[in-house]
Amino acid sequence: MKPRIAIFSLTSCEGCSLAILELEDCLLDILGAVEIVNFREGMTERSWDIDIGFVDGAVSTPEDMKEIEHFRECSKVLVAIGACATHGGLNTLKNYQDESDYRKYVYGDQAARFPTIPAQPLSGVVDVDYQLPGCPMVKEEFLEFVKVVLTGRTWHLPEDPVCVECKRNGTLCLYEKGIMCLGPVTRAGCNAICPSYGAKCEGCRGVVHDEALKAAGINLREQYDVDLQDVLADLRMFGAYQEKTLP
Amino acid sequence: MLDRVVSQSQLLALVDELALSRRIVGPVRRSDRHFYGPVDRADKLDLDFKYCVYSPKAALFPADQTLFEFQTGPDGFQTSPVYDESPLALVGVHPCDINAIRLLDRVFSNTNIDEHYLSRRRQTFIVGIDCPTPCTSGVFCRDMKANEAREGADIMCSPLPPNGVSDDVRYGVVFGTDAGREFVLYSHAGDPPTVDDERASERYISDKARAFPQSIPYDVDALPELLERSYDSLLWEATARRCYSCGSCNLSCPTCYCFNTYDRLEMTLTSGTRQREWDGCQLRSFAVVAGDHNFRAKAAARLRHRIYRKAKWVKEREGVAGCVGCARCDRACTAKISSVEIYNQLAEEV
Ligand code: SF4
Ligand code: SF4
Ligand code: SF4
Ligand code: SF4
Repeated sequence: MKPRIAIFSLTSCEGCSLAILELEDCLLDILGAVEIVNFREGMTERSWDIDIGFVDGAVSTPEDMKEIEHFRECSKVLVAIGACATHGGLNTLKNYQDESDYRKYVYGDQAARFPTIPAQPLSGVVDVDYQLPGCPMVKEEFLEFVKVVLTGRTWHLPEDPVCVECKRNGTLCLYEKGIMCLGPVTRAGCNAICPSYGAKCEGCRGVVHDEALKAAGINLREQYDVDLQDVLADLRMFGAYQEKTLP
Repeated sequence: MLDRVVSQSQLLALVDELALSRRIVGPVRRSDRHFYGPVDRADKLDLDFKYCVYSPKAALFPADQTLFEFQTGPDGFQTSPVYDESPLALVGVHPCDINAIRLLDRVFSNTNIDEHYLSRRRQTFIVGIDCPTPCTSGVFCRDMKANEAREGADIMCSPLPPNGVSDDVRYGVVFGTDAGREFVLYSHAGDPPTVDDERASERYISDKARAFPQSIPYDVDALPELLERSYDSLLWEATARRCYSCGSCNLSCPTCYCFNTYDRLEMTLTSGTRQREWDGCQLRSFAVVAGDHNFRAKAAARLRHRIYRKAKWVKEREGVAGCVGCARCDRACTAKISSVEIYNQLAEEV
């Protein structure tokens, strides 16, 4: 029997689930191997008997709380896709601001009608089986994941930082131009796309391991004349860095 | 002794001749730096480059390479190897990188014959260009005895001092292989060296000997012993605390040859390819084995391992150091960990 797949969205731009639709070329092949039973972006009929549930978006409202618990119950395997679902993503920026402030500038005088809670990744609320990080998630990685699951292999996220991909691509390191790139602390898998266009990595795939974060703290203090707060702000952008303090 | 003298325009014409039957990879300018890259015509090369950010290694040992294709079906599991045997010319390779290629040649042909490397290598013609002065600060190629390459290139070109007659750069050419000799002589490029050319070449060699400073207070032959005594040095821990374990030092090194293999499946899930991609001993997962045991779990152990590889173990096994002193690792390290500094600090300790 074909695995029954569902794609859900919580608080997000839904860009990651749209990215699945963008896989047009392969979508037909995927549809041959799986059955998509629940997908707001791509279908009207919906079913709740789900083998693999993909979820994008952060848990950021009381409604999200209820939905994610329901998705978890209905899905044998739950996969967080995109930075919002894996790390909280851009939504977490509000966690560093005063609630009444951001409610006012986002919703104006309607604020009372939109309850909100501090943004958190899915894993803050339910058990998540797999994480496919990135803002947006990496389409190629999503495809690889699907293939690995369909063939019964074990899925591993890359355990190397983004620099590895810059080197494999032959990209000039942004540090040579004096740009503080977050590549050394960020999980690879995006094919270092930002540095390959000359833009620094902003850590949208999350911190690769705490040892790298610790090294960053030491290097930023001892080797570089930069404002630690600026770098922390970069690290916070996609929720890569939250309560942890730079050692 | 020179075999031939060619002007830069004659050398470029030779490259155009090579381009008739080979892919050309040589120094091109990009983002204010030089990189080895593919060109279809010699005039797209910039032979007046100082150094290339990365070595030409990727042309022989690609960062991600298909080893074989596989298929499963009613007839079982079938594989067919993939070799790239398209003729290639590497142009403008400096002595450090030529020596690095010679090391790769040994490594990929001694105990495990690596046809994926060797099939490319056999089809590769190398035009070396010598360095009259260090290409940039921080290099220690002289210390590693790698700032000269008498072997390895098919033709080796040294820029001769100006002779006051022509503005065009003139190269003293030495043939490194029969293929190099035949190619240049058959093309009738350049002229036989004159007595003045030989004198200019001698001057070039003696000027060069003075131009390269010593950067490590030890002979490369003594480094294995120095390292032997430094196993328990506090330096490893003190330096590695800054290490991101990002592997940039490994992956930008012309002599690093470690790789990891993985499978790429087609969407049909019945066929695919086995790939190999560059790996590096500074990456945390490099030494993870079955049962998730990591036999070099600490950054300090990994750093020591890399330095031991470069200046001790490879030397003991292959007779030449595993490092050519190009300092690409040092430049690539965003934590500013410098191998040449490590050698110097260890030398001070003992
Ligand atoms: S540009 Fe960024 S990701 Fe790329 S090698 Fe440099 S630090 Fe690493
Ligand atoms: S380079 Fe960094 S910011 Fe850019 S896609 Fe990759 S992880 Fe995200
Ligand atoms: S170890 Fe460093 S200096 Fe030595 S060859 Fe490799 S990159 Fe060059
Ligand atoms: S480049 Fe520097 S920080 Fe990265 S692994 Fe090598 S020594 Fe460590």
